[in-house]
Amino acid sequence: MSEAVLKSLDPEAQKIVAKYDQKRAATLMLLHLAQDKVGYVTPEVEAWVSKWTDVPVVHVRGVVTFYSMYHLKPAGRHHIRYCTSTSCILQGAEKVLCHLKKKLGIENHETTKDGKFSLEEAECLCNCDAAPMMQVGDDYHVDLTEKKIDQLLDGLK
Amino acid sequence: MKTEPVLSRNFDVADAWKIATAESRGAYVTAKKVLTSLQPDEVTNQVLAANLRGLGGAGFPTGKKWQFLPKDGKKPVYLVVNADEGEPGTCKDRLILERDPHQMIEGMILAAFAIRSRKAYIYIRGEYVLSFRRTQAAVDEAYAKGYLGKNIFGSGVDLDIVVHRGAGAYICGEETALLNSLEGGRGYPRLKPPFPAIVGLFGCPTIVNNVETLACVPHILKNGPEWFAKLGSAGNGGTHLFSLSGHVNKPGVYELPMGTPLREIIELHGGGVKGGRKLKAVIPGGISAKILTADEIDVNMDYDSLRNAGTMLGSAGVMVMDDSVCMVKMLFYATKFFSHESCGQCSPCREGTGWAHKIVTRIYEGRGNLKDLDTLLTIARNMEGRTICVFADAAAWPIQSYITKFRKEFEDYIG
Ligand SMILES: Cc1cc2nc3c(=O)[nH]c(=O)nc-3n(C[C@H](O)[C@H](O)[C@H](O)COP(=O)(O)O)c2cc1C
Ligand code: SF4
Ligand code: FES
Repeated sequence: MSEAVLKSLDPEAQKIVAKYDQKRAATLMLLHLAQDKVGYVTPEVEAWVSKWTDVPVVHVRGVVTFYSMYHLKPAGRHHIRYCTSTSCILQGAEKVLCHLKKKLGIENHETTKDGKFSLEEAECLCNCDAAPMMQVGDDYHVDLTEKKIDQLLDGLK
Repeated sequence: MKTEPVLSRNFDVADAWKIATAESRGAYVTAKKVLTSLQPDEVTNQVLAANLRGLGGAGFPTGKKWQFLPKDGKKPVYLVVNADEGEPGTCKDRLILERDPHQMIEGMILAAFAIRSRKAYIYIRGEYVLSFRRTQAAVDEAYAKGYLGKNIFGSGVDLDIVVHRGAGAYICGEETALLNSLEGGRGYPRLKPPFPAIVGLFGCPTIVNNVETLACVPHILKNGPEWFAKLGSAGNGGTHLFSLSGHVNKPGVYELPMGTPLREIIELHGGGVKGGRKLKAVIPGGISAKILTADEIDVNMDYDSLRNAGTMLGSAGVMVMDDSVCMVKMLFYATKFFSHESCGQCSPCREGTGWAHKIVTRIYEGRGNLKDLDTLLTIARNMEGRTICVFADAAAWPIQSYITKFRKEFEDYIG
């Protein structure tokens, strides 16, 4: 199924690869592009990236596992990165995280049964001046409280 | 002391990331003038005279770094922007990328001209999606105006910029890990020498500079190196974006002269410790910097003063802790960070950060014993100065400084 999606990404892949002095340098960008559309990094995605970069699939796999943003299994529709670094901890991140976990009924690296949310305890996302904070999908949410978590998550489809 | 904003002058201007607004605020005027009237070496000399020091954490003089490039011109030279901000406590480069990317792009045009580079890459941390979109949009607009591409400003100079995304790995902020990552590999730091200025991206001479460092360059060329040098303290030119977080009334990013007293940042700009509580400790330069006790905060925030105080300016991420803070808990979170983020190439780092976190976890959970403290200090000592990059040293510093400066608290906790 992901083959058709990947085929539709070929024109964009070509544009990306053309920007780089060496094809293999496009690896991270191609993985982002494919993961955004396919949902996670499937073996087909790895093969597609390998084809575009002329890099062996085993090497692509080595790259995928090194970086925290690539998912080897489906993440939730809304992937949450919750910051658990120093400044957020100072501002009460633990209590809000507890609430978040209870609300979703999941722990770190888990996905809700309905596939709506997945949770990742992240290191500093560099919005420490508005702690605690988290990223949901692409967006940052700051100055979190339990109430804010409720409003935000209840409002998401 | 209140100074006129330089780097942050457009931060509160709506749509300053769009080129029309940026240009109405003076963007690209300096680049155009310089490219059509100065020689590359004159730009480097002005940057040198301005005492601009790399704002990515190491504080290396920027002009001097540029001069390390080979002069033979045999291979192409690359300019790479380090926008992989990830040091806990730091949130400054994101503001430039999101709110005023043209300032950085103009700095890149000037830097690329100085180092005779025709191709530049901006490496933005993967999680910074808005930064990526804004920066890419700004680059596209600059191309459309003829400020990037071929024969920019009719000067005969060419420059192409590629905006690149990382994918979630703190270590890629280390410049050689960043280069490996940019080449499409795992973010493993490289053995140095050779330094990137000699063998960098794709084996070619490469200058890696921080976002904020490059954003300073147009201001130096516009107002002159003497003006810039005078903004800061001796040998530390300019202003700096200080990220202030933790237990203060007004956390935020403050642009202040290099050398601003730490106490002033906390008490005046930050409005003092929150809730009228007492100050306990301050980390002055991101998680890697050694912690200061409340008695040690009469220090100026520049590279040399903080080094003399036994810590470092690092990323200028100031984290303030009041007297309710448990140091055992804070060390638990610090060692968690380092054990997560070690790239695993060197055994003292991989094993050391892992062991340290395990022992601190044991203490934090009430299962520690007094001997653990000395074991931790020994582990930390064995991590210093024997690895491919200084991440392992940085991981040792919180362990050493928290335990030595708050030993009694650790002992009482263990009981
Ligand atoms: C572990 C580690 C992490 C680093 N992270 C960053 C970073 O996120 N951003 C940055 O600009 N420099 C970072 N640096 C410093 C870079 O290696 C390099 O010195 C810097 O990008 C050079 O630019 P500058 O001279 O303009 O500061 C890091 C260094 C180390 C050792
Ligand atoms: S010191 Fe640590 S982070 Fe640096 S290269 Fe070695 S293992 Fe990797
Ligand atoms: S510590 Fe949470 S965003 Fe930096």
